[in-house]
This record gives sequence, C-alpha cells and structure tokens, in this order.
Amino acid sequence: MALLQNTVYPLGYWQKVTLSIWFIAVVIIPFADIEIVNFDPLLELSLMAQGLIHADFFATEYLFQAIIQTLNFAIIGVSLGLLIGAPLALIYQHPLVSGCCAFLRAIHEIFWALLFLQVFGLSPITGILAIAIPFAGTFARVFHDIINQSSDSPLESIDSRADIISRYTYGKIAQVLPQLITYTRYRFECALRSSAVLGFIGMPTLGYYLETAFKQGNYSEGAALLIIFIALIGTIRYWCPPKLLGIYLVVACITLVEIPTLDSSLLVRFISQDIIPPALVNTLSFADVQWSLLYTWFSDIITLQAIPGAISTLTLALLALAASHFVTLNAHAIASKHLWPGPLVYLGQFILLIGRSVPEYILAFIFLILLGPSMLPAILALAIHNGSVIAYLTVQQSNAIAPPLMQISTLNKFNYHIMPSIYPNMMALLFYRFEIIVRETAVFGILGIMTLGFYIDSNFSEIRYSNALILIMCTALLNVAIDHISMRLLNSHKQSLTT
Amino acid sequence: MKILTTMITSLTLILSLLVSVNVIATHFTFTAIPDENESQLRTRFEKVALYLEKELGVKVKYLPVKSYSAAVTAFRNNQVQLAWFGGLSGVQARILVPGSQAIAQGYEDQFFKSYFIAHHSTGLTINENFPDINDKTFTFGSKGSTSGRLMPQYFIEQHLAKKPQQAFKRVGFSGDHSRTIAQVQAGAYQVGAVNYKVWQSALSAGKIDTNKVSVIWETPTYPDYQWTIHANVDAEFGKGFANKVQAALLNMNTPELLSSFPRSSFINAENKDFEPILTVAKKIGLID
Repeated sequence: MALLQNTVYPLGYWQKVTLSIWFIAVVIIPFADIEIVNFDPLLELSLMAQGLIHADFFATEYLFQAIIQTLNFAIIGVSLGLLIGAPLALIYQHPLVSGCCAFLRAIHEIFWALLFLQVFGLSPITGILAIAIPFAGTFARVFHDIINQSSDSPLESIDSRADIISRYTYGKIAQVLPQLITYTRYRFECALRSSAVLGFIGMPTLGYYLETAFKQGNYSEGAALLIIFIALIGTIRYWCPPKLLGIYLVVACITLVEIPTLDSSLLVRFISQDIIPPALVNTLSFADVQWSLLYTWFSDIITLQAIPGAISTLTLALLALAASHFVTLNAHAIASKHLWPGPLVYLGQFILLIGRSVPEYILAFIFLILLGPSMLPAILALAIHNGSVIAYLTVQQSNAIAPPLMQISTLNKFNYHIMPSIYPNMMALLFYRFEIIVRETAVFGILGIMTLGFYIDSNFSEIRYSNALILIMCTALLNVAIDHISMRLLNSHKQSLTT
Repeated sequence: MKILTTMITSLTLILSLLVSVNVIATHFTFTAIPDENESQLRTRFEKVALYLEKELGVKVKYLPVKSYSAAVTAFRNNQVQLAWFGGLSGVQARILVPGSQAIAQGYEDQFFKSYFIAHHSTGLTINENFPDINDKTFTFGSKGSTSGRLMPQYFIEQHLAKKPQQAFKRVGFSGDHSRTIAQVQAGAYQVGAVNYKVWQSALSAGKIDTNKVSVIWETPTYPDYQWTIHANVDAEFGKGFANKVQAALLNMNTPELLSSFPRSSFINAENKDFEPILTVAKKIGLID
C-alpha cells in the first residue's frame, strides 16, 4: 500500500489553480446565456470583408486631428498618472493607500469619463483625467511590486549620513529603473487603447470615428481606422523611445484641443444635486428625510440592477477568464520561436498584435453579427484581447530563454522546458488580468449585454446620476474584492514557496 | 534624476494648462445628431454653422457629440446653446434647463413614426393590427432614442400589457437604427423597432434584402426631432436673439444644409407640441 501511495504524484499548485478555473467555468456554463442565434450572418459579414478589402483611408474627416488627439490624451494621461501614481507606490504598503488605489483603478475609464463629463463637459480634461486616475492606481500598485522585488544590499554601501530620499533613489529605485521604464512603456500602449475607447462616448479620438463607422455599417471607413490604430500600436517602439517622451509631452500640451471654460458651479451642482438620491433632493434637515422612500429607492437599485448586473458581470468574467487561459496558451505557442522558424514567428507576433490592438468593443460587435446576441460574443472578445495581451507579455519572456540542448523533439522541449518556466508568470498575469476583465465587461454593457455597465449606461442616458453613482460604487467594490482575492491567491503561493 | 525632471516639467505644463483655460472667447455653439448618416458630420454641420453665423452676426461653432445623453449634458452645462434634439432628449433637456424653448421642428417631425421589422423566419407579415410578438427576441435602437426606444416601448406596453423584459424572450439595445436593421436582417434578433426614415433610406440605398427582413407594423404618429434653445441666450447674446435664431432656422431652405438633418424644411414649434412625449416617457418610467 505504502509503495502504491508513493507513486501517486500530487498536483502542482498551478495545476490546481488551472483546474479550478476550468472547473468553475464548466459549473457556471449551464447558467450562462451563451445561446447561438444565427440565421443569415453572411450578408453582413461579406459587407465587413468587402470593407476590409476596400479600406478607405480618406473617408474620415479630420483624421489627422483624431490621431493627434488620441496620442495627446494618452501621453498626458500617462504622465499625469505617473505623477500621481509613482509617489503613491512608495507608501502603497499602507492598507488605506492600497485600498484607495484599488478603488481608483476599479472604475473603468469610460465611467470616469461619464462622471467627469457632467463636471467638465466635453473637454480634454475629462479624457485626460479619465485615463490618469485609474492609471495612477495601477502605477502605484505595480511600481510598488517592482520596487519591493529589488534587493536591499545596495542600501548598505550607501553612506549612512545620506538623506532618506537619496538612499531610496540610489539604493532601491536605481536598480529597478529599467523595469519601471519598460512597464511605463507598456502602460503607454494601454493608454493609447483607453484613449481610443474614450472616443466611443464622445472624446475626439480615433474611437469616435471608429464607433460611428462600425455602428452605421461604413465598414471600409472602419477598416481603415482599425488598420491605422493597429499600426500606431505596433510601431510604438519606433516612434516613442522613452527619451522622447518629455518632448512629446510638451508637443501634446501645445496641440491639445482647446479647453472650454471651466465652470465651478457645475461641480457644485454635481455634488449638491445630481448625485443626491431623489428622496433627499428637497430635504433641508435630517428630520425631513423620508427614510422609507430612501430605502425603497436604494433597495430597488440593489435588487433590480446591482445584483443581477453583478451576477452577469461575474459570470461573464469567469467564463472569459477560462477562455482567456485557452487563448493565452495557444497564442503563446503560435508566436514562440521555440516552436516555429523565424518568419512564422513574425506572423504569430503579428496575430498577437492584432488580437491585442483591436478594441474588445469592435471584436464583440463582429461576433454579435456572427453568433447572435448572448454573452458569447463578449466572452470571445475578452478572451481574444486578454489572451493576446498575456501571450504577448509572456512570449517576450519565453523567447529569451535559451533552448535546452537535449535530443528531444521541438514540441517536447517546448512542453518540458519552456512552458514550466513561464507558466507561473503566465498565471500571475492571468490573475492580474482578471481584475481587468471585470473592468472591461463595462464596455459590453454599452453594447447591450446586461452587465453592471449596462445598468450604469442606462442610468446615465436616463439622467439618473445618483443611481449611476451607486452602481459605479458597486462595480468598484466588486473589483476591490476580486483584486483582494487574487492577491491572496498569489501571495499564499509565494509564502508556501518561501516556507 | 531624469524621471524627476520629466515629472517636474509635466507638472508645470499641466498646471499652466489648467490656468490658461479661461482665455477662450464665447461662441454661440450648437450640436446636432442626425437620425441617419453620421459620416462627415463635422464637415456637414460646419456649413450649417457658417449659415447661422451669416444670419446671426455672431461667431457660431458646431460641437460634435456622440449620444443624446451627451447632447443633453452639453446643453445643460451651457456648452451648447442650441441643439437638434430627438423628442425624448429635447424633453429631458427642457426639464433640466427651465426656460429653454423648442423653437423649430422638421416638417416630417410633426407626424413621425416607427416601423416594427421582423426576420422572415418569424413568418410575420405586414398588418394593420399590432403583431403577435410575445416571446420573440426584440431589439430597440439606442436607449435614449424616441423612435427606436421610447415610442416602440410605449406601444408594446400598451398592446401586450407587459414590460418588454417580460413580454420578450430577449431584449436588446442595438445602439443605432442601422444596427437594428442589420441585426434583424442577420436574424440575431427576430423583431426590432426602427425610425421609419432610416428604414426608407436604407431601402432605397439597396442595403436591405426584403426577403430577409420586412416591415410588419407601423406605429401611430408622434412628434419627434426639434431645435431647442437655451434659456439665457437673450441675456448672453442680446435681446431678441432667440427669435433671430428661430427665424434663421425657419428660413434655412438650401437643400444642401437641410439634407444634413435630413429634413425637407423647418417649421415652427413650441414646448407644448412635445407634451405627448413627456407623458409617454413618464408612463414607461423613463422620466420620474
């Protein structure tokens, strides 16, 4: 008996995690709305294909301006996010700071923008803050993680009389500076995407025209805009070396669209009227408050909108997580130089570029025609986008690994040597992306899939800002909880490794 | 150190940016979302701005917006003083800005209507009576649209005596009339509600295969799009300014300008013309 037990190999930590992800997905599939309704998708699909073939680069008015503004919002947004986020990274260990940062980044750029729209109007400030604020929260967290990984030994060689700032700068930050810069550059790519997406709600970026073109079926214009956008992201490293970022920032500030006059009364009105629950609007003192009305209002939002919205948000996110895992594994494989000869690797990387650059909204839009309205288009869109991002980040790492000098087949080398060494990082990224997947479900709400984002969007269009704010808070709390859980999952593993 | 310098430069730049915002002069600004064909929007409406500039003698600017709710917000914040609203967004805007006036509507907007359209697989055909669409899948247009959402939902609730969520197997919001047509034509939804003008122009542009999708019912008529002017334009731009704007709109007769909306002409309108819309919006719970 004892002999037998020894031959049973326990599952590894990451195998358990992987199986759990898939187990959860399989369990919730019967409850998820993933029906395929499709009768005649061919007509619309052929129109889309024709649009792609006859991409019309001259159909969009003010195209150059739109490109410039997309860049401007991204550059200024990232800089401002860096300016707020980097100092916060130094005090991120404080639970209050990390809690606040989690809250800031839990709210999608689109919702930040919809809120700021009420206060600043259609102004570049709206777009820039909508990028800068969640990015600050992300920078704080990731910079904190990176700085934490640096070793303390350089500190010992610094003169003990040196002031704390010098000690910290030269002893800690100097050694991780390259990683900080690499990460900042990656975030710049994210900011470009966010900047484009803000066009969907009216910022004058590429997304403005992209959404209109797709919405109205002008596919030749839409295809041209997509190509421009993908090219812009694919060539970042050529046109935006970190050294030039300062210059770009100056140019961005100069060429920004004009900012309309700020009206402080709008902020006052927003805080003192718009976001006040309807039951409280005309009350002057505490005694006037009709608690029963307030209670019905609040419980209606929670039971009719927040809870159903949260359930479908989570269902969508969990299924998308499993699907992202699947896409990640495959996408990583198609762009790995350990499996394919040079030219095919470039093709693979090009596919990853397309996968991560096309906004999820557009992907879901195409799948909606193909598969009909259910959660399926959103799941696929999220999986393709996030899978491609994770594969892109891990393939950089795995391609740097020296291939083992063993006489085994390529596939075996890949599975035996490469995959195990990058898998933990791949899974860590997947968990980190889970938080982002939950955020991104917001976009599909605007497309009509009944996530929390759907109800938030409805309330904004019905001019019920107080309801929208409650739902945004619910979304943020949901995200903070998810962030907390995934951090604990990852940390418990790290601790079990060290002990 | 380099990072530090970058940070300081960016801080100063951003601060100077925030300080310099008050220098921009005030223009008379308007916005418009046509119910169809949003391509080349700015180019087309800047021509309208030029026309108004000539008629009014003040600088006129066009502000492109993406949605009805964004237009309402811009109007409420006085970022635009004149707006081409849909029926519902106009009512919303005039509630938020007391004293603002509907001053003109399109000729067609006095008797606007929506079409209910269905995929051929449903077997539904055109009929005078409200179609039996219980338990079908159904898509509206955008959430804030009068012809794509408000009025269709009202007629559904009137005839089926149920909220759409209860009456249908699935309810969607396609976001746009051309999307509604495309999705019903592709069979993604069985039935949809669409602005009749958008349907007609898509039909004449050859974008509709009538073997796949066809009109099954048309709603009774209702008032829709209108020009609404902000309450304090007379204070900002001089006494009688609202009347001047109204006259300029009513006199707009160049086909090129009118086709941007697209309307055959503009006629007089006042707030009370849109009371049916307000009543309906309250009835289905879109306005408290």
